[in-house]
Amino acid sequence: MSDTHDVTLLLAEWARGNENALNDLTPLVYRELRQLAASYLRKERQGHTLQPTALVHEAYLRLVGQTNSNWQNRSHFYGVAARLMRQILVDHARRKHAGKRAGVRVSLEQAVSFQLDHSQDLMALDVGLTALEKIDPRKCKAIELCYFGGLSMEEIAQSLEVSAVTVRRDLRMAEAWLHSQMQIG
Amino acid sequence: MTPERWAHIEELFHRASECDPKERTSLLDGACNGDCELRREVEVLLASQERASDHMLAAVYSGLDAVTFPLVGETVSHYRILDGVGGGGMGSVYRAEDIKLGRQVALKFLLEESAKDSAALGRFEREARSASALEHPNICTIYEFGEHEGQPFLVMPLLEGQTLRELIAEANPGKPPLGIEKLLEHALQIVEGLEAAHQKGIIHRDIKPANIFVTRQGQAKILDFGLAKLAPAGNSAGNDGQTLAQDPEDMQVGLDKAKSGGTPDPLRSRTGLAMGTAGYMSPEQARGEKLDARTDIFSFGLVLYEMTTGQRAFKGDTGPEFREAILKSGHPSVSQSDSKFPATLGKIINKALQKNREERYATAGAIRTDLQSLQRAIGYGSRSHKAMAGSAVLLLLVLTAFLIYQRYQPWPNAAHEPKLTQLTVNSFENRVTDGSISPNGKYVAYADSNGLRVQAVELSKTYVIPPPEELKRKQTRWEVPKTVWFPDRPRFVANAHPVGGSLSVEDASIWIVSALDQPPVKLRDNAVAYSVSPDGSLICFGTNKGRLGDRDIWLMNPEGENPRNFSSADENQGLQDAEWSPDGQRIYYRRTDDSGTSLESRSLSGGPPSTILSASEMKRHVDDLWLPDGRLLSAVEEPRSFFGGACNFWTTRLNSKTGQPVERPQRLTDWPASCMGSMSVTADGRRLAFVKWEGHVMSYLADTAAGGSQIRNLRHFPQSERSESISDWSPDSKTVIVISGRSGQYDIYKQPLDGDILEGPLALSPSGTRNARVTPDGKWLVYFEFEQSEDFPDQKPEPVMRIPFNGGAPQELFISAAASLIACGSSKAAGCVIAEPSLDKQQLIVSVLDPMTGRGPERTRFAGDLSEVRWFFDMSADGRRFAFMRTPASPIQIFSAQGSLIEEFRVKGWNEVLEFTWAPDGKGFYVTAQGRGAQDVIYADLQGNAHPLWESPGADGETVGKPSPDGRYLAIESWTTKGNMWLMDNF
Repeated sequence: MSDTHDVTLLLAEWARGNENALNDLTPLVYRELRQLAASYLRKERQGHTLQPTALVHEAYLRLVGQTNSNWQNRSHFYGVAARLMRQILVDHARRKHAGKRAGVRVSLEQAVSFQLDHSQDLMALDVGLTALEKIDPRKCKAIELCYFGGLSMEEIAQSLEVSAVTVRRDLRMAEAWLHSQMQIG
Repeated sequence: MTPERWAHIEELFHRASECDPKERTSLLDGACNGDCELRREVEVLLASQERASDHMLAAVYSGLDAVTFPLVGETVSHYRILDGVGGGGMGSVYRAEDIKLGRQVALKFLLEESAKDSAALGRFEREARSASALEHPNICTIYEFGEHEGQPFLVMPLLEGQTLRELIAEANPGKPPLGIEKLLEHALQIVEGLEAAHQKGIIHRDIKPANIFVTRQGQAKILDFGLAKLAPAGNSAGNDGQTLAQDPEDMQVGLDKAKSGGTPDPLRSRTGLAMGTAGYMSPEQARGEKLDARTDIFSFGLVLYEMTTGQRAFKGDTGPEFREAILKSGHPSVSQSDSKFPATLGKIINKALQKNREERYATAGAIRTDLQSLQRAIGYGSRSHKAMAGSAVLLLLVLTAFLIYQRYQPWPNAAHEPKLTQLTVNSFENRVTDGSISPNGKYVAYADSNGLRVQAVELSKTYVIPPPEELKRKQTRWEVPKTVWFPDRPRFVANAHPVGGSLSVEDASIWIVSALDQPPVKLRDNAVAYSVSPDGSLICFGTNKGRLGDRDIWLMNPEGENPRNFSSADENQGLQDAEWSPDGQRIYYRRTDDSGTSLESRSLSGGPPSTILSASEMKRHVDDLWLPDGRLLSAVEEPRSFFGGACNFWTTRLNSKTGQPVERPQRLTDWPASCMGSMSVTADGRRLAFVKWEGHVMSYLADTAAGGSQIRNLRHFPQSERSESISDWSPDSKTVIVISGRSGQYDIYKQPLDGDILEGPLALSPSGTRNARVTPDGKWLVYFEFEQSEDFPDQKPEPVMRIPFNGGAPQELFISAAASLIACGSSKAAGCVIAEPSLDKQQLIVSVLDPMTGRGPERTRFAGDLSEVRWFFDMSADGRRFAFMRTPASPIQIFSAQGSLIEEFRVKGWNEVLEFTWAPDGKGFYVTAQGRGAQDVIYADLQGNAHPLWESPGADGETVGKPSPDGRYLAIESWTTKGNMWLMDNF
C-alpha cells in the first residue's frame, strides 16, 4: 500500500474520531517533512532557507496528492504537520545544542554565528508553547500553524473554526506572551 | 494561572495595545486598580509585542537552516563545513574550508536516493571527472569526490556570483534580463563549454538556468555535468511513469555490469529528471528516446529564449503539462516580447528549438558560429574587441608576476549599461598620465611622456601642442589636472614640471593653451593650477610647498592676475587638488595631515570647511569628482587589490549646499583589473573622461660580458607589443620559455633564440601561470597555475602542473602551499625543488620536486617569519647551495644543501632587494632591487659588490633578470603600467 493511500485513509479515520489513526499518521508525515526539510534548499544565498509553508504544502502534495483535496483532510493534515515541524526543528536544535555542550569542538566562525543563539531561542520557544498549550490550547495551535505550518490567517481561521479577526488577536497575544517567556528563559 | 486571570490579562493587553499610547497609562491605572502584578504582566506583554514576531521567526528559520544544513560546524574528511550556501534538486551545498590546503571550497552533497546505486554513482563520477578534466573555463571544475557516512559529495571551487536562474529572476518579470552584449557574451560562453564537452562525447542532459553559474567576473560556468543521470526516478516530474533515455553510455555501463555478473542497472532505462527541470527537456527526452548532443542544443535554446525574453518558452504547472507543451506547442516568438533584439537572435533560437532534432543545429559549434556572426554584425565583441576586453592584464607582486584575466562586468541592468570608448592607444613606454574633457565634450586635453596633446573627440584627431620656447631644451612633464577647460571657448590651463624634479610647486609653472598650433603662454611660476571655475572666471591654484604638499589654495583670474588666498594650512598639513562644486559656490580639496588624507569642502564666501569624506573613508580613494547631478564619483581601490591593480567607480550623493554625503556609497562598476583616475566630466554630466591604467610586461634579451657582470646589445625579445615575459631557458640555452597573453589568456610558449615566432601554446591555462621552470633533463616544464579569484594570490594554494617540454596536456602534480616558489638546477643531480611556507608561515620547507611523482622528500627547511610574503629563495645551478632572504631588508643567506649557513651578504648601495637568481657559475646573483623610483637589475657578487645593469623605463616598473644556463645571455622582463584616456557615456 502506498504512503499516499495510507495517509488519505488515516486522515479520514482520524476525522471520524479514531485517535489511533493519528498515531499511525504521525511517523509518515514526520518522515516526509524531515526528508523534505533536508533536501529542500534555499532559493538564494541570502535570506531564509525555506518557508515552512512550502514544506508543509509540499508534504501534503506528496502524501495526499493534489486530486484528493478534501479540505477537512487538508486542515487536519496541516495541524499534524505544523506540530511535527515544531518537533523536528526543536529535536534538531536540542541535539545540536547537546553536542556542543558535550565538548564538540566549535570553530570560531561557528561560535560567533547566529545559529547557536537561535537554537536556544527555538528551545525556549518550545518550552513556552508547551506552557501555553496548558493555559490556552487554541493560541498554541494558532502559533504552530502560523510559524511552523506557514499557514495564512484565513487558513488558520478555517482550521481552528474561528474568525480571522480572532486568529489575529490570538496570535498577537500569544506572540507577546511567548516572547516575554523566551526573554525570561 | 487561572483561565479567568489569563482572560483578564488578554483583554487588557488588547485594549492597551489598541489605544492611543498617550492614554495607555491612564487606561492601565484605571483597569488594574492597584493590582500591581496584573499591571506588570500587561506591561511586559506590551513591551514584548513589537519584536516578538521577528524574534520567533528568526528562531524558526534558524531551526530550518539547521535541519537543511545539518553538517554545519562539522568536519567532513579534511573539510571544515562553515555554512550552507544553497543547492538545487540534487542536494545541499556547503561552504567549507579545506584544512589541508587552507582554501575555501564548495561541498555538494548528493541526495540520499541518488547515492544508493554504486554503479550509477561510478558512472556519474567518471562523467563528471571527464567534463572537469576538460579544464574548460566555462565548465565548473571538480576537485574531488568523497563520501561521508555513505553520502557521496563532490568538492568544487567556491564560486562567487549567481546562477542564471537567479539572474533572470532578479530582472523585471517578463522583461529582457540582459542587454544584448552581455546576453551574447554569456550565450557564447555556455555554448563554448558545451562544445568542448560534446567533442569529448559528454552530454549534459540537464542544461537549465539553474545549472549555469555566472561568476562575479562575468564568466559563465556550466555546473553538474553527469549529474542528470543520477536523478532518482522518484523525483521525476509528475511521477507519471515516463520512460527516459537509454543512451550509449548507459549501455556501456550495462555491459560492464554484465561482465562482472551484477544485476542490471536500474537506472539504465530511467534517467529521470529532477523536479523543475521538466521545463527544459528536449522533445526526444520527453519521449524517452535515445539522446545525443542535440538534446543539449534544444535545452540551450530554451535557456537562450529565457535569457532573451525573461520568460520560459513553454509554460505548464506540472511535468506532464510541460511535456505536452514541449512535444506539441510552438513557443511564442522572441520578437513579440522585445523588438529591440535583432531578428537574427530569434532565428538562432528558433533553429535551436526545432522539435525534430534533424532540423536543429547539428553541433554546438554551429550555433556558436551563428552567435559570433551576430555579435560581429551588431558591433560588439568582434574578435579584436574580445581580445581587448578579455586580455589579461599584468600586475606586479613582490615575488612574482601574477596574471589576471580581465573581463568587464558592469551593471546588471541593461538600461544602464554605460558605453565605453577608448580614446588613446598609447604604449606602455608613453603612458597617458592625466587628462581633462572640455565642458562641451568636444575636446580632451591630456599629457603623456611626449608632451601635451588635445584630441578632437568627434574627429578622432589628435593635435600636439608645440612646447613654449622657454621649455624647448628642458625635459618637461606636462600635467593636465581634471577640470582645466574654460567654458566660453576652447582653452585650458596645464602645469609644467621639469623631469626628475619633485613634482612640487617649487619648480612647477602654470600655462594656458588657447590654440592648437600655438605654444602655451605662462601664467605663473612656483604654482600648480588645480581647476577652472564652472563660469570660467577664476583659476584655482596651489602654492607654498610644505612637508605634506602644498599648503595654500589661491584664486586668480584667467589672465593670471588678482591672486587672492582661499585657504591655508599650517606646516603639518597639505591642501591639494582643489576643485569646484557643480554650482561653483564651494571648493572641495584634499587635506593631508599625519593621520591621512580627507576630502573637505568650503564655501567661496568663507565659513568653516565641512568634511565630505574622512581620512578613514578616503583610505582607498584614488580620485574623486563632484558630478553636475550632485553625486560624488570616486575611483576606489578594491580592498584586496594587488598592488593597486584593481579600482572601481563608486558614487555617493552629496548635499549640494554643504557637500556632505546624504547616502551610502553605491558601486558603479565591477572591473577586475584596472585602475582609474584623473576623472573629468562634461557640463551636462553625461560624458566622463578618465585615465585607465593597466599593467604591461615587456621582455628583453642581452649578451653578458665580464663574467656576467655587464650586459651588451639589449634588444626586445620576443619582438612584440603584447605582454610577454621570458620565464626560463631550455638547458641548452637555445630556447626561451615565454608566457604570452596573445590569445587573450596567459599561456606558455617557447621560442628558439634564432627563431622569430613563438611556438605553442604548449599549455593552455584557464587563468594564468607563473614560475614556469624547465627540468634539468629538458623534458618537462613545471609551473604554478593560478585561478582568477577574489583572494590575494599570495594567500591561495596553487596547483603545481607539468607539461612535456614539447607540448601536451597539462597534468596536475599536487597542490602547493600558497606563494611557493619552484627552482631548478642545471644538472640531473640538482633536479628541481619547491620552497613552500609551512602552515604557520614560520618556516620555509624545501622539498624535491619530481616532474614524474610530484612532491618528493624534504631537503631542508629554514626558519623565518614568512607571513609578509616578501621572502625569496633560489637554488644554485649545481643544486648544492640554497639562497634565502626573509624580507627585502634582510641579507641574502647562502646555505649548504644540508641547511647550514655558509655565508650571508647585502647588496651594497641597495636597501631593498626584491628577488634574485643565481648566476650559472654560482659566483654571484642577478638581483632585482628597488631603486629611486624604479627597479634595477644588478649583478652582485658574493661579497655584495653591485654592478647595476639596467633600470626599468617606467617609474613604477618592476624588472627581473634571468641568465641563460650557459651564462651567455641575460633575459630581462620589465613590468610597467599602460595608461590611456577613456570615455564613458550613460553612467
